[in-house]
Amino acid sequence: MIWWLLVLHLLGIGVAVLGGRRGIRTGLIAAAVAPAITTVWALTQIIDGDTEATARLMWVDALDIGFEFRIDDVALLMTLLVSGIGTLVFINATGYFSADADGGTRFPATLLAFSMSMLGLVWADSIWTLFIFWEATSVTSFLLVGHKNTYADARNSARRALVITGAGGLVLLAGLLILAEQAGTSTISEMGAVSGAAATTAAVLVMIGAATKSAQFPFHVWLPGAMAAPTPVSAYLHSATMVKAGVLLVAVLSPVFVDVGAWKWTGVAFGIASMLWGAIGALRQTDAKLILAWGTVSQLGLLITLFSLGSAKAIFAGTSLLLAHAVFKAPLFLVVGEVDVRTGTRDITKLDGLNRSMPIAFGVAVVAGLSMAGVPPLLGFPAKEAAIEAALGLSGTERAVALPTIVGGAVLTVAYTTRFLIGTFGPGLEGRTEVAPRRVSMTVATVTLGALSVLGYVFAPAATALVRAAAIESNEKAEVYELIRWPGLKTAFVISVIVVVLGAILGWFLSQRSIRVPDTVGANAADEMVDGVLSWAPRITAAIQHGSLPVYLATMGFAMVVAAIPFVFAIETDHLVAWDNPAQLALAVLTVAAALAGAFVGSRLGATLTLGAVGVCVSGLFVIHGAPDLALTQLVVETVIVVGFVVGLGALTTRFPETRDSWRTVRLVLSVLGGAGVTMALAASASDPSGTPPIEALTDGAKDIGGGKNIVNVILTDLRALDTLGEVVVLATVTAGILALARVVREEQQVSEGAVATRTGYALISTPSPTVRTAIRIASPFAIVLAAYLFFAGHNNPGGGFAAGLVLGSTVILRTVAGLPRRVKPRKAVTIGTLTVAFVALVPILFGDPFLDMWIGSIDVPMLGTIKSGSALVFDLGVTAIVVGLITASIEGLSTITDQVMADARKARDGATT
Amino acid sequence: MSAALLFAVFGLTGVGIYLITSRSLSRIILGFVLLGHAAVIALVTAGGPPGEAPIAGRSDDPIANPLPQALALTAIVISFGLTLFMLALAGRQQTLSGSDLVEDDLEDRRLAARAEREAALEELREAALAEEEES
Repeated sequence: MIWWLLVLHLLGIGVAVLGGRRGIRTGLIAAAVAPAITTVWALTQIIDGDTEATARLMWVDALDIGFEFRIDDVALLMTLLVSGIGTLVFINATGYFSADADGGTRFPATLLAFSMSMLGLVWADSIWTLFIFWEATSVTSFLLVGHKNTYADARNSARRALVITGAGGLVLLAGLLILAEQAGTSTISEMGAVSGAAATTAAVLVMIGAATKSAQFPFHVWLPGAMAAPTPVSAYLHSATMVKAGVLLVAVLSPVFVDVGAWKWTGVAFGIASMLWGAIGALRQTDAKLILAWGTVSQLGLLITLFSLGSAKAIFAGTSLLLAHAVFKAPLFLVVGEVDVRTGTRDITKLDGLNRSMPIAFGVAVVAGLSMAGVPPLLGFPAKEAAIEAALGLSGTERAVALPTIVGGAVLTVAYTTRFLIGTFGPGLEGRTEVAPRRVSMTVATVTLGALSVLGYVFAPAATALVRAAAIESNEKAEVYELIRWPGLKTAFVISVIVVVLGAILGWFLSQRSIRVPDTVGANAADEMVDGVLSWAPRITAAIQHGSLPVYLATMGFAMVVAAIPFVFAIETDHLVAWDNPAQLALAVLTVAAALAGAFVGSRLGATLTLGAVGVCVSGLFVIHGAPDLALTQLVVETVIVVGFVVGLGALTTRFPETRDSWRTVRLVLSVLGGAGVTMALAASASDPSGTPPIEALTDGAKDIGGGKNIVNVILTDLRALDTLGEVVVLATVTAGILALARVVREEQQVSEGAVATRTGYALISTPSPTVRTAIRIASPFAIVLAAYLFFAGHNNPGGGFAAGLVLGSTVILRTVAGLPRRVKPRKAVTIGTLTVAFVALVPILFGDPFLDMWIGSIDVPMLGTIKSGSALVFDLGVTAIVVGLITASIEGLSTITDQVMADARKARDGATT
Repeated sequence: MSAALLFAVFGLTGVGIYLITSRSLSRIILGFVLLGHAAVIALVTAGGPPGEAPIAGRSDDPIANPLPQALALTAIVISFGLTLFMLALAGRQQTLSGSDLVEDDLEDRRLAARAEREAALEELREAALAEEEES
């Protein structure tokens, strides 16, 4: 059933949007259907007495994450309030809004979405579900408070409400997570009582979350501002339902936190402060709606106090007041809405004689108001009696704190109620108020709600059953209490009488004098905080996200240095040797010297040459280490890179630009530290060798699986061919990128000056010398043979597809240098290579073998004998083709770009001389 | 582990970091290449002691660990490809801006300008309010 009701609400939201197109009133009526059905369902559940319903839809079972709902008696009572009052509010709103009001598609659907979120929150049985719907009510409330989105006031208030309740939601989430950890489950109904330091933290965090939602001092500042919402919204969200979410949370979790002292005292502190400050606030307002809003803060304070105290009597009193408050506060708000609509003002100093001109509204207000003041024969009376009884039933400190404040709060409540009634409906300070005609829909809702206060008193046993069932969920001992219509001359009753008399006198006295409305200090402070955050955020962003690449890199570098610090302590020097071979030391020193020279030499060409030197020295280090494949590849790579630098950068100004000295110092420090950090981490890695390298397994695997002797090559083309596949994809992508960049430049050239005849880029490296040209012409076939040798030998000896491709690519470069025709089309080479590699990778799948499974056979190659290999060789061929394509594309692309750079420079020079 | 190789890694990393924090794109590429060398040497060094070339059946002496070599080979070729691409980018930058200097990110500078503008506006607003109160 839970799912059906939720789906019904979702459908209702859609229908409300559609209906809203025909006017806001149609939309509201369409939206009222879902709450009405839910109310009827809740009533039948209560009458049946078979109340518990559950629903689960798990998402991540192992983590207990999913939607979990459980409707117990508390939830059922809240459902009745949410949907029942909701239905009446929708009906009332059709009268509140004029037929041609804006927001027809927006307002009813949002209000229904809120109603649904509230139901989800009430029904939630896991912390995740609870939190999701908790936040959903914050968001929908934000939209509803900001309904009049063309008013700055409404927007500010909505923002304030969202920031406070949203922040509270985060605090709540933290608290719930700790709680779930402590309780060992995220399902609320399965949680046992928790205790300990972590539980105390959780209790305080959850209580703060509840306090923000239930507008407890000092978080109450958003509630008066939320009165910028249309009055039906205020009646619904800000008195009867949403603000009760915090109270409900305290009620539901009070058995869990029963052993945590901080839970009780945090709650009582919030509650008492709000009860008194809210009531004082209500006495200082002249806007009828704000009087009620501040009164709500006070009432919620009383509720939080009672539920935090947690004794059976207090829980029973709290639950009774929860019901009574919803039933009297909603009609009071709706009456104020009617006054506003029919007179155009809510200012009690301007309203005059409404007791005669709006008799029905006056009647409802008196009934609901007296219920709020706790006067019989109305539901508020037994509820307030229960509260005073509960306070009397306490002992020690609890009694000393709770009794006077609850009684004092009650006096103030009677006072602001009296002032509200006299101010709104009694004689005003300025002449008689004009009143527009009554609207039936508004009256229907207010009268129905008003009547409930009477019915609740008359049928007190029924109300008792409802309240008692709910209260038992929080404290089992609550089952002995009941709502008593006429207690007789008991202590609580005597106190009640005194409270009403004192309060009425105070209220009457205050209503006879004009009061200066205080500044909204708290709200302003909250706004300034939000404004401050908003104005500092871009400044902080601008400072951190400054956009300077060198500074970003330096920041990362320093972070790396910090991360390397622990490694210093993990180094064991007995694993270190000075060198493996004296030549190694010489080469290492040469490498570093060449690198340093490259960094500090001023000319670009010089830097390029030192780069080549570094590459050669590193190759030497590989030879000494026993890595001929690396050495071979490194050598050829270095050659191509140097050529690339000359072609690509040759056209740039020959000297590097100067940099600022201060920044240079930072860079120098970072360089030394960064180098040291990496070295330390590396040294530490050798200090604790965990196990030995699986060299034997790799050797055997190379022979048995790959059928080759060169283990590195077999790893690349067979055992770990997926790495290689990824790598050649990178190379193919890079080729495409270079070709694309060159194409853009070429198209710009053609647009600006037609086809460019000069080939200055090639001129940088090509030579007019006929000797060299002839030498290269003779050498190129040999180079091709060498490449073929490396390719086939690679499976058993140093070499392989990369080396072959690099040699072939170098041949292409050589022929370019000589000005000889180039036969390789880079795009074609890369395409063929990629297709070949993909083919070898995919074909095994057709035969039911794994992706990239290699097939082995024997091939006879002249001069090399029989080679035991197979599809790995074809795979390597694809790699070769891609490498050749990349090198050719680079030479072509870089020279095209360089052509353009030089043409630009020439144009600038010509421009300067003419 | 050989201190000589550690020294090479130290030198190459240090100079590499010095170069990539410069503003000139061509120097950044130089630094990138040096850092690539440092990474490859580190990979091979961390893989174990030196030995004979990892070719089965060629020698009875222990061979060097082949796995880091295979990884290093892949690393060499990838940094080779990226270096060529960066060279092309440096050239393109030159055709667009006339220099190979790395500018601050445009979007970030816009954000900073907005923050400054808003701060200035706020000051003006406050000054106006103060004036209003005085008069």
